[in-house]
Amino acid sequence: MSSNVLVELSDALADAAEKAGNATVLVNARRRMPASGIVYAPDLILTADHIVEREEGIKVIVANGTEVSARLAGRDPGSDLAVLKLERPGGVETVAEATKSPARLGQIALVLGRPSPNGIEASLGTVSAIGGPIQTGRGSMLERYIRTDSISYPGFSGGPLVAADGTVLGVNTSGLANGAAVTIPADIAWRIADTLVKHGRIQHGYLGIRSQTVEIPSALQKALQREQGTGLLIVGVENDSPASKGGLIVGDILVAVAGVPILHHDELFTRLDGDVVGKSTPIGVLRGGQPQTINVVVGER
Amino acid sequence: MNFNGTFTQVIDELVQRVMPALVIVRGHRFGAGAGIVWDANGLILTNNHVVGRRTPIVILQNDHEYESRLLARDPDVDLALLSIDATDLTPLQPAPVPPRVGEMVFAFGHPWGQRNTVTRGIVSALVSAQNRRGDTLPVVRSDAPLAPGNSGGPLVNAKGEVVGVNAMIIGGDQSVSIAASVAKDFVTKVLARKKSEERTPVDML
Repeated sequence: MSSNVLVELSDALADAAEKAGNATVLVNARRRMPASGIVYAPDLILTADHIVEREEGIKVIVANGTEVSARLAGRDPGSDLAVLKLERPGGVETVAEATKSPARLGQIALVLGRPSPNGIEASLGTVSAIGGPIQTGRGSMLERYIRTDSISYPGFSGGPLVAADGTVLGVNTSGLANGAAVTIPADIAWRIADTLVKHGRIQHGYLGIRSQTVEIPSALQKALQREQGTGLLIVGVENDSPASKGGLIVGDILVAVAGVPILHHDELFTRLDGDVVGKSTPIGVLRGGQPQTINVVVGER
Repeated sequence: MNFNGTFTQVIDELVQRVMPALVIVRGHRFGAGAGIVWDANGLILTNNHVVGRRTPIVILQNDHEYESRLLARDPDVDLALLSIDATDLTPLQPAPVPPRVGEMVFAFGHPWGQRNTVTRGIVSALVSAQNRRGDTLPVVRSDAPLAPGNSGGPLVNAKGEVVGVNAMIIGGDQSVSIAASVAKDFVTKVLARKKSEERTPVDML
């Protein structure tokens, strides 16, 4: 039979699975079943943190079936990402290509994994939700996440979500949402991986305040000279915390960090990242109805 | 380009082409499986476990019912070959090459007694399953939903060629299909043996 759009789509999907599959590896770093990983650089594997239960003696099986030893190069339990370093000169040839166009709702996508030495495994679905920020089951905030309606087979954690052109849309894991599969978008995952390669870990900022979201009346918004509907009313400051040392007090309404408006808790969480840890950071507050900026040296959680 | 129209149309064409080769195989008192018209002159391929102790009844798409003859059955590959007295049937062709992971597949069958269903998926993995004898058997795993009643039906590719015979039970895994190569070998062996039997007097066996 001659080719038609169905055959072309089918071939394209198989091509995408093959292309991304060549950059998808088996990661054997725990006692139970192996999981998957993505070739992030010739000698680096990006995978899920929760499947790495030992730091040494990790075995990676690459696309051509070769087994390579690896060790942990960096991990961020909060985002459930880890980077492994291959102990082989030259590394592997095929490196995964992160997408340049972020996932779109309704887009078809392949979930890939290499849970066994016998070859790549795949399932097909569509991007069914893009959301965030959410609090993960690991006590951190994930700015954005992708969900699909495809089947995640055992051992798929650490593997890629793949667009029809074979580029990687994100990293799949069952470790962030009580065992349900979610995908960490590629731009976030690659950014975290960059930091892990450089520093071995991700820093999370800490102020030492308790707060609740409150409405900012229009008069105070005028004082702020911007439209900002909510802020964080500080209802408690821990002794000797970065906040207390910097001079934040109960009753302040926190409205910005480093010039970025903060409307909700999750935005504060996201903003207090490695970029501000250890640095004197301007915190915008409303105190007695007047906007003020108070410099706080952000601590590390 | 009217992509949607074209796409729907080619899927419809695929279903129209494959469906005539899908049959019902009633081999047990309760429940039924599916079967594949394997040649124009009445060869029907199905799962061994679909064929019980009774003479299986084969029901074609035109609702004609046939008492079949059991030519051969092999529990180790979970395949059985039946023959019915019919001609001019529309058979399916096995795919000449193994499928690729990621390619689209369609499962045809009668899950839970629901007649003539089509479920869509992709090839998830090409793996080996172990049968009771300890032999390994190439199977095609897909993410197409299968249920009892899909057994014995075809898993076809985008061209409508058979890439597997659906069988849920091998190795306890869900949604697996016996690779078309196994089915092809099985049929070839059965037909070769039948031919030699026809030439050989029965008392010499």
